Parts: sequence; structure tokens; C-alpha cells
Amino acid sequence: MVADATPNLPDITAQELLAKVQTAKVDGLSGTVRSSADLGLPVIPGLQGGEGGGNQITDLLSGEHTARVAFAAPDKARVSVLDQMAERVWTTDGKTAWAYSSSDREAVKLTLPAHQSQPEAAKPESYDPQAVAKQFLDAIDPTTKVEVSGTEEVAGRDAYKLRLVPKTDQTTVGSVTLAVDSKTWVPLEVTVMPRTGNDPAIQVGFSSVSFGVPAASTFAFTPPKGVKVTEEKVPARKTPAQPPKTLKPEKPVKPSGDRPTLIGEGWATVVALKGVKATGNGPLDQLLANARTVQGSWGKGKIITSKMVSALITDDGRVLVGLVTPDTLVAAAPKAPR
Amino acid sequence: MSPSEAVTVGPRLRTKRYPLALFRSELHLVFGRARSWALLGVLAAVPILIGSAIRFAGGGGDAEGFLGQVAGNGFFLIVASLALSLPFFLPTAVTVMSGESLAGEASLGTFRNLLTAPAGRSRLLAAKMVSLALFCLAATMTIWISGLIVGFVLFPVGDVLLLSGTTVSLGDGLLRALGIAVLIAASLLGLAGIGLFVSSLTSTPLAAMAATFGTFVVLGILSAIPQIDVIHPWLLMYGWLSFADLMRDPPYWDAIGRNLLLQAGYLAVFYAAAWARITSRDING
Repeated sequence: MVADATPNLPDITAQELLAKVQTAKVDGLSGTVRSSADLGLPVIPGLQGGEGGGNQITDLLSGEHTARVAFAAPDKARVSVLDQMAERVWTTDGKTAWAYSSSDREAVKLTLPAHQSQPEAAKPESYDPQAVAKQFLDAIDPTTKVEVSGTEEVAGRDAYKLRLVPKTDQTTVGSVTLAVDSKTWVPLEVTVMPRTGNDPAIQVGFSSVSFGVPAASTFAFTPPKGVKVTEEKVPARKTPAQPPKTLKPEKPVKPSGDRPTLIGEGWATVVALKGVKATGNGPLDQLLANARTVQGSWGKGKIITSKMVSALITDDGRVLVGLVTPDTLVAAAPKAPR
Repeated sequence: MSPSEAVTVGPRLRTKRYPLALFRSELHLVFGRARSWALLGVLAAVPILIGSAIRFAGGGGDAEGFLGQVAGNGFFLIVASLALSLPFFLPTAVTVMSGESLAGEASLGTFRNLLTAPAGRSRLLAAKMVSLALFCLAATMTIWISGLIVGFVLFPVGDVLLLSGTTVSLGDGLLRALGIAVLIAASLLGLAGIGLFVSSLTSTPLAAMAATFGTFVVLGILSAIPQIDVIHPWLLMYGWLSFADLMRDPPYWDAIGRNLLLQAGYLAVFYAAAWARITSRDING
């Protein structure tokens, strides 16, 4: 997070750096991760501060969060989000996964099938910069300019900055910068800049990190006395609780019952949902009432824009969302299934 | 006000020779008054109120956070009482004491004696501030002790469940609660500094208290407005809730340290302002 120091490191090309990142392997790490998100979403006082309760998505997409993370190869991981006077913990030792919330003192236990350990381990990791960075790496294609844009110090370690700049102007994303550790090649920080403005829209990164393997007891969880434990059969490929997932900068959208359709490619991808009931929520209604109305051959709808995210809500219950400009949404509207 | 206060003037005149005497008389002034004991008494009543409410009104463990754990473990009465006193009771007590500190002397006429010895002014202010800090500590310790007694009397007591989901022994828990009491006392120092400064401006204790409390309320309102969150990290009470980080495993020190630094900053600014005011103040002021 402190970017005032620019360490002296040997030159490296973007391609070399990318290769190193993709082969980066650590046996274990632990540290503190800070995230701050400012997507320019409208501030609705009534919806804020819903600690532990209902609106975890708006909660994580606004403001700052601190989490302790620990990881040990191949399948042990622990994330605890440090809330104000509360804590939410997700931990797995490869066989069992636990989700614990201190505010309602409830724990959920998941027994993981043995053969599934590998993919499941990625679950709580999506909060740490590694997973977030990987998603962007997977998405790199000809739509993106990739460059090594210098060095910086992150969590006391010398890191290369790898900058991805979208080539299209249909997106609201200005650039995505990864800070990659120069020794372990682990991404330490991800910064998403909007096309306009100087403040990051999303910044997730280590404020301190160590690459020692944490003790096995770190990942163990003993349900304390007086805590309600719910045991759940493993819902195949489902996470016990979804909050960290929402940090994915790509699709900050709540999937509803229907399968979302993807329209467009690369940075200009638009997610289309149908059959969404967008009314009946007081603050949202108010927001929509003030929103710009657009229409075309596809019908009529309201456009909500922010620094990063734009949404088009049509009168027949379709919702198009993307990290794109409003015009791109309108252009995509005819392709959205009814 | 009372004869005992007039007596304190005596030792004060000799402060050049006995710096400790000044401090001792300050302590006497802070803790020797019925008003201080009444304030501490109110604070001691907080755990009693919360404890009896939960015990006799039969609250289940439905409440969130520390309060919801009281019924299952009396230990949490200490933490819950401290947490619940922090937004209002403790600041009120500190406001009263700090507003009184300099303005009180001025209204009694004892100030004039003190100010005739210019070399003693800085020392006087230091003694005032130290006694205020001790009062802050006495206030939180009162709650700690009262919470301990009431919690042990009314509820079962046992190992302590931390926020991180791990359990530690009762002794460890009590130590953490003690740390919380000290941290909260330190969190009040910024406000005490503001109070001391305001108190140096006026000779009416009530005006000083009102102005200090007004400042506190304004800062609180500013903290509650999401649109100006840019300035929130610099407001007095931004890190007040960081004491709960002691209840994690292991404790998370970053926010605690930041809060202590912020309090130190407030204290330094307002203490310096009070010092500038008091050393340049004319005797009749």
C-alpha cells in the first residue's frame, strides 16, 4: 500500500514476468490483506453498516476491509475478515471446512470429499491477491496492453509492477496493476484504476506478508462451547459463504435464479440477467426514479452509472451490468434474451 | 467551595520546592471531591444495570456481540460494560472533570494564587493533565472491577471465547479485559486534552463542560455522515472501537496503535494550545 519507495530491480519483460507469475509456487504464506473498494456506488445510508447481516455484497464492495490470510500447500487455507468488534472466519485443513461468524456465534461445518481437495482449496483464496490476480491473467488476450511499469515496495518487499491497460474504450476500467514480488513471484497487490479519476476503484494487497509455512493448528477449528454448529453435506462446488468471492472485480453482480448471459468480449463484456424484480426496495426505487431513461428497439429502461459499474434495468425485468460505458450497455441491450 | 479546597492553596504556594506536592494536591482535587465519586459511582452502576437486566429480564443469547455472551459467561459483562460506556458515559465523565480542571480554579479564585508564580504554570498544567489521565484510568478500572464482581455474582463464569473462534483461559481473558480498560482510558485522552484547553479559555466550569461536550457531539455527528468519510480517519473517535482487536487471536495491533497515535496527536495539539493560553494569561483572567 505504501508506494513511495521504488526499489532498484533488474529489468524484466512483461512476458518473463507473466511466466514467472504463472509458475509461482509457495509452500505457505501468512499475512494481512487490506482491501479498499470505491466503485462509486451511490451512498445509501440505510444500506450501510449492515454488519454480519444481510447485505454482505454492498458491504465488501464499499469501504475498507482487513483480513488475515494464511495458506499452506496444497489445500490448507484460512481467511479471517476483521470486522468492527467482530470477525468472520473461513478455514479449511483440506478435509473439513469451517465458516464462523463471531457476531451471531454460529459455525458451519463442511466435510470435504477427499478427491476434491485440490479445486476446493481455491475457495477462500479468492480474497487474497493471488486469486484475484490470476483471474486477470486468464483474461489477458489481444484486447489488453501489458507492460512492466516499474517497481514498488509492497508489504516491505521489492515488487515489479505489471500494468494491464484495456485497448478498448468501451470499458470503464482504466488499468489494472499487479505488484509482483521479485523473489517468490507471488502477486502482492492488485490495483484497479477507473478510466477517469486518480483514486483506485479497487485495491487489494498485503500490508504484511511472510512466506513461512504456517503451523497446522492455524487451519484447525474447534467449535467453541456455546456456538451453534450447522453441519452441511458438501454441496458440490459450492462455497460455505460467498462474501470473498464478490471481490472479483470482473462481475460484481448478484447472480439470480436464471443463468446470466454474457454479451461481448474481453473488457467490454456485459452480463445480462432476466426476470429480475428490481422494485419493492425503497432506496433502489428512489435511485431508479432519478436515473436516466433510455430506449430503443429493444424496449425502455433506466441506466445507472458509477465510476466503474454501469447497469441498465429494462422495464421488462432484464438487467445488463458491466464495467462498461452506458453506451456499450445500450448497444448490447438488443442481444439480451427476454 | 468547601474548606478542604481552600486548604489546598497552602501547599500549592510551595510548589517550587516540592513539585510532588503540587501533583498530590491535584490528585486530591480530582479524587477528593464528591462530584468525582458520584461520576465513578454512575460508572460502577453500568455493569450492575446491564447485568441485572440480562439476569432478571431473562435475555437469551440472541443479542449480537459481547452483550449476547454475558448470559453464558459473566466475564463478558466486563467487556460489554466497557463497550457500552464508551460512547456516552465515559466521555461525559471526562468532559465534566476536564472542563472543571482549570475553569474551576478560576471561578473559585484559587487560580490567581497559582498564576502569580509564572514558573509554576507549566508544571501546574502538567499536574492537571496527569490527574485527568489518572481519572480516565480510574473510570475504566471502576467499570472493570464492578463488571468483574457483578459478572461473577450473577452469571456462570468460564473460559473465554475470542472473536476468532478460539477459546482462552479465564485468566488470559481477564488480562485482555484489563488491557481493554487501559486502552479505553487512553482513548479518552484526546477528549481530556480538548477539555483542558477549553477549560483554560473560560472561568466558568459549566461553560467549559458544555463547550467540550458540544465538540464531542459535533465530532460524533461528523463521524456518522458517510459522504465525508475522507475525514473520518482523523476524527477523535474513529479508532475507539479498536479495543475489540485485543479479543482476537492473536491480537491485531495495527488499529490499536493507530488509535493511540491519533489520541496522542489530539492531546499534543490541545495541550500545547492550553499551555500557550495559560502561560500568556493575565492574572485576572
